[in-house]
Amino acid sequence: MIIFYIQIRMEHTTGIKTLADLKRIQEEVSKRIGLRDKAENPESLVQVKVAMATCGIASGAKEVMEFFALELDKRGIDAVVTQTGCMGYCFAEPTVEITLPGREPMVFGYVNPKKADEIIERYIKNGELVDGIIPQNYNTIES
Amino acid sequence: MVTLAMHMIDIVQNSLRAQADMVTITLDERGDESFLLFRVEDDGTGMDRISLERLTDPFFTTRTTRRVGLGIPFLKMTCEQTGGSLRVASTEGEGTTVEALYRTDNPDCLPLGDLEGSLLLLVMANPAIRFRFVYQVGKEAFLFDTDALREQGIDLQHPQMLTPVKRYIRENLEVLWRHRAPESYLC
Repeated sequence: MIIFYIQIRMEHTTGIKTLADLKRIQEEVSKRIGLRDKAENPESLVQVKVAMATCGIASGAKEVMEFFALELDKRGIDAVVTQTGCMGYCFAEPTVEITLPGREPMVFGYVNPKKADEIIERYIKNGELVDGIIPQNYNTIES
Repeated sequence: MVTLAMHMIDIVQNSLRAQADMVTITLDERGDESFLLFRVEDDGTGMDRISLERLTDPFFTTRTTRRVGLGIPFLKMTCEQTGGSLRVASTEGEGTTVEALYRTDNPDCLPLGDLEGSLLLLVMANPAIRFRFVYQVGKEAFLFDTDALREQGIDLQHPQMLTPVKRYIRENLEVLWRHRAPESYLC
């Protein structure tokens, strides 16, 4: 933990201005994560898709996606975080679709970083359902 | 949209849906002429003339999940409210260029927002796409090219690289921003 802290301090004080700086950090990161490489089979990973169309972006999807990407890694959960388009639930943005290995995808609405934290701790880690699920049988208004 | 970074994510989504392999994002600050040019260029499928004509119509979309398409109309609104303008050029089979001109001597000019964070999320979510991000202030420029970084062995898909790469972009942008004209409302 102390070593990790020193590394962060070093990164902070030396600055990251050139590609060479980035390369150096990449080498440090690779050493750190070398043992915990991602599984080859994406089916065994948690998949997080953040809806990032106009509606999602305007409601803060960027912060939510960043939160998932950083926090899932910090908490040691093997996951792929990606973007998707509008799922038609513009009223409930930001929306996030989560697929646990071997389970049906689940869509959560009104997700902010606080909600995302609850989703990680309760749904992703323990499979417990949390508030804000958008039912699969929900239909958009037909013309 | 309250920042240019939000527009950037939004407009780039259009390029991705048009199956682009390379997306070039340019932000060009011209202090002497008091404007900022925001451009997204892609090599995607492009649009036919009818789509192009209806592009700024908020009730035009190619989606089936909803019946409005507000990305381009919002962009048009935010640049026009500064006294600027929107220009879209597209050729079927070749690609599309969206160009929004913001007047930076107008207080309604949008803040830039989290450009580096937004860009990196786009990069992270789309590993197969080559992104080029060019920020220019007068004669000074900063180029971020995902191919160049990958060549150096930098893993842009790894969450632990997100923060360092963000700082790399930020520090370079801050150097450029020192050249910004003092009367600019950009922030």
